[in-house]
Amino acid sequence: MELGRQIASRLKEATFERVVAAGLSNAEINGPRIQRSVLELSRLRLGAGDSAIVVGAGPSLHRRRSLERLRASGYAGTVVAVDGALGACLRAGVVPHVVVSVDPHRERIVRWFGDPALSAAPADDYFRRQEMDPAHAADELSANRALLRLVDAHGASIRVAVATSAAPEVVARCAAAGMELFWWNPMYDDYDRSESVSLRLHRANGLPCLNGGGNVGTAAWVIAHAVLEKRRVALLGIDFSYPPGTPYERTQYYPELRALFGDRFAEAYVSLEHPVLKERWFCDPAYWWFRDVFLEMAREAECRTVNCTEGGILFGDPIELAPLEDFLADVRAGAGVTPSERT
Amino acid sequence: MPEFLKGNYKVDTKIEDKGDAADSTDEFEKKALSRLGGSICFVSKKGFLWKGEDGARTSDRQPS
Repeated sequence: MELGRQIASRLKEATFERVVAAGLSNAEINGPRIQRSVLELSRLRLGAGDSAIVVGAGPSLHRRRSLERLRASGYAGTVVAVDGALGACLRAGVVPHVVVSVDPHRERIVRWFGDPALSAAPADDYFRRQEMDPAHAADELSANRALLRLVDAHGASIRVAVATSAAPEVVARCAAAGMELFWWNPMYDDYDRSESVSLRLHRANGLPCLNGGGNVGTAAWVIAHAVLEKRRVALLGIDFSYPPGTPYERTQYYPELRALFGDRFAEAYVSLEHPVLKERWFCDPAYWWFRDVFLEMAREAECRTVNCTEGGILFGDPIELAPLEDFLADVRAGAGVTPSERT
Repeated sequence: MPEFLKGNYKVDTKIEDKGDAADSTDEFEKKALSRLGGSICFVSKKGFLWKGEDGARTSDRQPS
């Protein structure tokens, strides 16, 4: 087995190691702010019908102008966005019904909501390096100021499905922008075990535990079908990978892979040809793991999942591939999307 | 401590077992891998949403 897939096969346990301490620490700090459960979202009327669109922050989002096309369509269903896609959504005139935030990182994630404390370009090149939101890569300070204004303007009409693991800075920013917060616990481990972290956390705060699938995009998809009970869920910007030609230096885990493997770092990436585009996309081990997990979860889900990303590596049974317009047309017609690979 | 090193006498000095070299390699690997993980866990075969001890988790699709 190639190196990248070998690493990916061990990331379930590694992710627990990575997030559990910070997640529990944040949960304790966030405790006094917890008022509403994510389950309450299912009782709100968020969008029409039984469909939802989950918006991730992958590079196809702007390459395919997915949000501009969504906005032009007049789609009336539910829009669930990951925190990293919030800025792109608002700039395109798409105000998501729900934004999902999970990551416990104390400095980075608040930037997706506009960081009121940012006064100089940070040494951390996380945002400049990647293609998740090109607005941040171009001029971090002015992008941050513009995002602050946008989020402040629309905050009152956005609900945040926020994990107890989320950074307190994110929670404070969302509250200041007038967003309503709906809480859940990340499912850290098997809640049926007596020493389970998930069980302990649930007993402490009474919140449901959500199986997040390794990343915020998958968590948003889980919220769309398991919490909001949508039965047709389309994905936008869920690439789990980088387009052909992306320099390694501009990938999310590049510094870590370089530090771990030195000159052999490139062997840790995995590539896969998109069955419709015939392009070879590539990913870090983490993204490969996200893909494996998503496919496993999708087979258990009580919804149809239609990947309208039009790029990336997320395909395979039972996920359908279709252009966004096909999904939207079928939603309007009240029908399901015919399983196809019509991107 | 491995069984064959145990004696039938006691010593005054307390000897700390620092573990095998393999353990420290495992620990290093574990720490290194943790830098490559995701932002939220995944738990196999436990459904999507667990509402607590007195509430059922959301149903998975039943095996057909």
